[in-house]
Amino acid sequence: MSVYKRGYQRYSGPLTGRWTRFLVLPRYAWRRLYQQRLVLLLTMLAFVWPLLCTGFIYLTNHVELLQGLDKEFLQFIQVDGRFFSIFMYVQAGFAVFLAALAGPSLIAPDLANNALPLYFSRPLTRWTYALARLTVLAGMLSIVTWVPGLILFGLQVGLAGGSWFRAHWTLGAGMVAGFAIWLLVLSLVAMASSAYVRWKVVAAAVSLAFFFILAGIAEMIDEVLRVTWGHIIDPAWTVNRIWCTLLNVEAPRGPGAGASAVALLVMVVLLVVVIERKLRPVEIVS
Amino acid sequence: MNQSPVVELENLKVKLGRREILHGITCRLGVSGTGKAIGLLGPNGAGKSTLILTLLGFLRASSGRARILGLDCAHSMGDARSRIGYMPENDSFIGDMTAVAFVRQMAELSGLPPEAALEKAHQVLFHVGLGEARYRELRTYSLGMKQMAKLAQAIVHGPELVVLDEPTNGLDPAARRRMLKLIAEMKNEQGMNVLVCSHLLRDIEQVCDEAVIMKDGNIVHHCNLEEERRSNRSFVELEVTGDDGHLRAALPEIGAEGVPEGFGRWRIVLPPGVEVDAIWRLAGQQNLLVRKLTHRRDTLEEIFLKAMGHIARTPGESAANVGL
Repeated sequence: MSVYKRGYQRYSGPLTGRWTRFLVLPRYAWRRLYQQRLVLLLTMLAFVWPLLCTGFIYLTNHVELLQGLDKEFLQFIQVDGRFFSIFMYVQAGFAVFLAALAGPSLIAPDLANNALPLYFSRPLTRWTYALARLTVLAGMLSIVTWVPGLILFGLQVGLAGGSWFRAHWTLGAGMVAGFAIWLLVLSLVAMASSAYVRWKVVAAAVSLAFFFILAGIAEMIDEVLRVTWGHIIDPAWTVNRIWCTLLNVEAPRGPGAGASAVALLVMVVLLVVVIERKLRPVEIVS
Repeated sequence: MNQSPVVELENLKVKLGRREILHGITCRLGVSGTGKAIGLLGPNGAGKSTLILTLLGFLRASSGRARILGLDCAHSMGDARSRIGYMPENDSFIGDMTAVAFVRQMAELSGLPPEAALEKAHQVLFHVGLGEARYRELRTYSLGMKQMAKLAQAIVHGPELVVLDEPTNGLDPAARRRMLKLIAEMKNEQGMNVLVCSHLLRDIEQVCDEAVIMKDGNIVHHCNLEEERRSNRSFVELEVTGDDGHLRAALPEIGAEGVPEGFGRWRIVLPPGVEVDAIWRLAGQQNLLVRKLTHRRDTLEEIFLKAMGHIARTPGESAANVGL
């Protein structure tokens, strides 16, 4: 029988698990996000660099193709921590722009359209809502960061063999952990800007400006006070510093990995507080 | 079936900032699973919306306790929300979604599996009259259509209790009638309990079985509308021609009381169980010619005005007092 002939009857069937219901939001959000051409285009562009890296790994593992090249050059083109750190810098850049593009459309429309009371009148808490929105961004950015990174790592293991894996397994783990930290920071910044600025374009600009302005302020502090600890307020720098430790590559001058981790932790807590204050079903004016 | 009250408040106090909005409310409203509607009435700023937001767990009680469907609003809201549908007063939707996607998403968030959610979304959109417009984006909807979409998302998962905050706001007369019809169907045909918050007395009077009148953060009147209508002494205004000198003495014979106002005009109060036919019969026995007989009861508006302190007594009470 056609739906319109059936009339309305209360639902009395089985229900889905309460703890997995928050995944409904990412599912709908991804569908809407990938309907945006710019997001799709940027995601596709973000795969160019991993493809080039794939070619690079293939070449370095086929020495017969590299015969005749300078020995120093052959030393230079190794698949090691430096290779993965360069891969990560490029993909991290794409992730910044993708987060700025996709992040504002997550919370800002819900606030602008007053949709939060509808969500929170269902078995969905503020924390599960925030987790759902975080999952949207983290999932989307994963596709262009640690997932291709892990594929590259697997390709290198496949071509170079088990001995290479035993000697370099920390690179794979470090890369995934490094990207996870970056995705967390990016997602929280995008969510916070989306929660405070209801216009999507402005929220995207704020999300980008957050990184550039803090980097600028950090540089100013270092230059004016002739110190190196100013970088501690620059999230991009601190994440990079942690990556250097994780990938065992030469670190830039400035605060150590421990100090950078603490600074990032403080920043994450502040961002969570900022988001928590805004994600309320009703706004109370004192 | 669980027969707990739909809403149970025990000395509930709610503060917004430093200001206390609800001042220790205590009441028990409705019985769950009975398909009755409760009206929450009061002027702007009476605390109706604050009470609803507290019942939904959006605001915390500063002291006292609130229960909805027998579940504590502070500690068991997760369970309670699975059984509640909420239609907010203001515009609440996701603009760039079609109505069917929006309602389906809300159904899935309430725990319906995706296929069932899709089927119910179509079903409920047809039910509220948005069947033909269900593939349009919500931002293109008129105010009346948005109200219906809000109602659709509130009932798509078949909740036991539907909380409607000003459901007829901004609706034209036809849409208002339709909304009230849908509310009546929800309780009569689907057995849902409905909590309607409104300042429109006629809406509450039309669809509710029980009403609570709030003023300045307190409940000033709680009435079972059906009983109230029944127990109200019927107030009759009578105008007769002829010698009505014996009418005053004859009225107690049928249990009524009345006072003459001169020129054949009478104000009579009938007790419960005595119908207006008795007046006709009495007038016949007294050889009086009835020129006018108006039979009316206290309206919710009169009950409301009395609760607000705008009038000292309802017309029925006035007549009774005069009669006494």
